[in-house]
Amino acid sequence: MSSIEIEAKTTEEAIKKACEHFHLTEGALDIEVLESSSTGIFGLVGNRKAKIRVTVKEDSAIAVAQETLRKIISLMSIDTKISAVRKGDDIVLNIEGNNTGILIGHKGRTLEALEFIVNKAVNRATETKVRVIVDTENYRKRKEESLKGLALKMGEQAKRTKKTVTIDSVNPHDRRIIHLALKGDSQIQTKSDGEGLFKKVHIIPNRKKTNKEESG
Amino acid sequence: MIEMKDLIEYIAKVLVDNPDEVRVTELEGKQTSVIELRVAKEDLGKVIGKQGRTARAMRTILGAASTKMKKRSVLEILE
Repeated sequence: MSSIEIEAKTTEEAIKKACEHFHLTEGALDIEVLESSSTGIFGLVGNRKAKIRVTVKEDSAIAVAQETLRKIISLMSIDTKISAVRKGDDIVLNIEGNNTGILIGHKGRTLEALEFIVNKAVNRATETKVRVIVDTENYRKRKEESLKGLALKMGEQAKRTKKTVTIDSVNPHDRRIIHLALKGDSQIQTKSDGEGLFKKVHIIPNRKKTNKEESG
Repeated sequence: MIEMKDLIEYIAKVLVDNPDEVRVTELEGKQTSVIELRVAKEDLGKVIGKQGRTARAMRTILGAASTKMKKRSVLEILE
């Protein structure tokens, strides 16, 4: 965790400088006063600057994440509460409240955008590598289940028709869910194809199996 | 009343290295308002992101906030 020493005329000023340096509030920092300031005799002799050592708190990431998301959502004039928990290396932020549909957006795009921005802000502010997951009303879980369902359905279709089935424009996280859902099935294989963030997923029925079935 | 401008300003400030140089102006039209974002030259990449991903995320959030206010807003990132 990064730590720096800062000098200023007064301790308060040094703390303010530290907050600006890290783009964090005082609460996210551990501050140790090395030398307090002194104006000396009549402000002439022995003038001494304040010196502090500042360390970013271990769990400042969670505070920054929660505060950033809270602020963005309140600026969208939506009234919610945000709870934050740590799950291993990840931080899970849960938006509590009714009517969070507007924060989910079409196909979860708004939720994804919020998550992306909060991730950037946290990793920038604390210089750590944490992943922030933003969720509301169990949306992530529901999405995962529905994706798994879709993958299995498409897998069945590929096997039945013996033709490749393609699912269009899937983001990396969702793609992973699809690949994993069909990994155990020896009759089909899955492949990603395309450029950029959003790729297609092909579900390909295995040739060998098909040939055997045809000859047999 | 909260303006879209403040939303973009806050998001931009948490992303850049020079938050003091973030400038946001809002041109309000009858139906659509245009929000113009200016940042320090070296921060331009930070608000745009890889393949425009950050800019797209900001536009998505702006879109959602605008829907809530029953209006339309467009984000322009200016050099």
